[in-house]
Amino acid sequence: MTEYGNPVTYGLKWLYLLLIVCLLMSPVFYVMYISFNENGFGARHYVFTLDWYKVIFTDRQMLTALSWTMKLSIATMLITIPLSLLAAKYYKTTRHKVLTVFLLLSPLFVSSDIMGSALLVFFKNLNGVFTFVGDKYSILWLQSWFELGFTTALIGLIIYTIPYAFIVILITMGRYRQQQTEAARACGATGWQAFTDIEFPQIRPGVFSACAFTIILAFNEYTRTNLLKGGFDTFTTVLVSEMLNTGMSEQSYAMSSLVSFIAIAIIGTIIIVTLLKSDSIAQRERVKAEPGSNES
Amino acid sequence: MSNVPPAVETRDLSKHYGQVRALQNVSVNIAAGEYFVLLGPSGGGKTTLLRTIGGFHRPTTGSVLLHGNDVSRLPPDKRPTSMVFQSYALFPHMTVLGNVSYGLSLTKMPKDQIQEKAKTMLEMVGLTGYEDRKPHELSGGQQQRVQLARSLVLDRDILLLDEPLAALDAQLRKDMCLELKHLQEQVGITFIHVTHNQEEAMTVADRIALIADGNLIEQGSARDIYERPKHRFTASFVGENNLMDGTLLTVSGDDAVVDIAGVKLMAKTEGQSFTAGDAVSISIRSELVKTDASSLSGSVEGHCIIGTFREAVYLGLTTSFRLTLDNSNEIQARFVTGQSAQQFSPGDRVSLHWQPGDTRLHAAQTKTHTP
Repeated sequence: MTEYGNPVTYGLKWLYLLLIVCLLMSPVFYVMYISFNENGFGARHYVFTLDWYKVIFTDRQMLTALSWTMKLSIATMLITIPLSLLAAKYYKTTRHKVLTVFLLLSPLFVSSDIMGSALLVFFKNLNGVFTFVGDKYSILWLQSWFELGFTTALIGLIIYTIPYAFIVILITMGRYRQQQTEAARACGATGWQAFTDIEFPQIRPGVFSACAFTIILAFNEYTRTNLLKGGFDTFTTVLVSEMLNTGMSEQSYAMSSLVSFIAIAIIGTIIIVTLLKSDSIAQRERVKAEPGSNES
Repeated sequence: MSNVPPAVETRDLSKHYGQVRALQNVSVNIAAGEYFVLLGPSGGGKTTLLRTIGGFHRPTTGSVLLHGNDVSRLPPDKRPTSMVFQSYALFPHMTVLGNVSYGLSLTKMPKDQIQEKAKTMLEMVGLTGYEDRKPHELSGGQQQRVQLARSLVLDRDILLLDEPLAALDAQLRKDMCLELKHLQEQVGITFIHVTHNQEEAMTVADRIALIADGNLIEQGSARDIYERPKHRFTASFVGENNLMDGTLLTVSGDDAVVDIAGVKLMAKTEGQSFTAGDAVSISIRSELVKTDASSLSGSVEGHCIIGTFREAVYLGLTTSFRLTLDNSNEIQARFVTGQSAQQFSPGDRVSLHWQPGDTRLHAAQTKTHTP
């Protein structure tokens, strides 16, 4: 709050923000609430229990799906972030900014169903071509390149997450002045050294945010993953499949809640640590910066 | 003649951006240990020339030689140059000491030696005690000193300064100008300084090069550029010169007669090639023009021309009289305030006179200078 701010208005703004967050998160809170009910969803009597959380670690199907999801999310992040970083760096230097942005953001303008089906058809055809070539020339290792599976799901998720990661990185990069890179080069740094020593430390928050964002997006994605995954299951495909066929099991509520708890805890910790760290660093720097404070 | 190659040499250097000709066949030699200033209007190409010397631009044609070695295709980190930027370009996530020692940390130098050198350099620029500050905790002048220290600590023999004082206030700029000059004398390396401020250029420069429209117009010592401009553009850009357009009537050897507003004035061609009938300009510095009541015009020595008084502009140390000649050319006479008791009213006819030797003759259009 500024010195001239009204405390009541200031409080109301925070209350409004809190209400919005609660409204957005209420379905998640409801799932968490159900996950602690011994009688499960829709039961008349609520009996608190932690048993469903014990059960999830014995549900092989759910654990396998979670493991695949994590592998897919991390692989997506590992590929999407460098590509987005390169794209953002290219955007800063190119004269064709509108075209670059259009190309990079174009996956956002296509609905997930259409993009997923288009990729499905594309990969099936591509796989047909590779299989044909492999058969014809007896190159066996060509035959399974584009069979539906981890690789195709990964490509689908990379196409999906690149626009978001690109925007998040670009926002942070917008504050970076290119002259600092030139100054580093003038000091004798190579292009890579100038990037790692000078530019990256300044855009690191954006890159890390993009990493977290990409993992969350890939973790939560259903349509593209479901169409392109082939034989394995992910966390969301298992949940949706359960809901459509038999209804969600109690341990599924527990698993969903556990994942949400972990995500909220990680993001909350990052925010709190960042705030506390920047505050304490600023304080420490102010103390150190007093002329004479470093003289014995 | 010495066989030592110049510290910096550009040969027919051109830089084009599509249709834009940022530099056109610029050739210049800068000796080791010289304080060389690139002076000119904004957008003239002086920063492009500096950045091409530093390796931040690749020349379209021509070459850059540093100490006789062609470095035209080398990146900045492979050249014996360092650079000071207009907008400071300090690394905000590093302390002052971190900034100054960054370049050394890229070498194999031991850490304690790096710290010692960086601290010595900070002492040289008057920033002892500020080692642990972050750039945002420093004033503009202090940030510029950190930049200087960061560049000088590298012991490179050519320092490029891109409008280093442009972001500072007027008084600080004056102080820093002298500091830069003294610093250059102390370290003895070549400084190439870009500015559009002629006072700044004249304070620091051993030699000045005028750059405009991508061309090197003229180069010489500060005194030559100010007192004996060869080109019309130089006369219009440096100092407060009166430029009067006219026609060359006769040329005989080094002597020329020019018709300005119906008055015949003598001027020296100083080796320039003219023929009778050429459109020419003469320039005369405003502080060399004396004024008198027009009734006294017959009794004054030297060139004399009659004009109409418009206004007096008080500038503190000096006062300028603004007058108009009969051919609509404007002319100014400047004198130290308080040293003239003359009072004129707008519309008064005034006699303007000066010594013939103070007149400079120029071609009406500036020619591209390619030494």
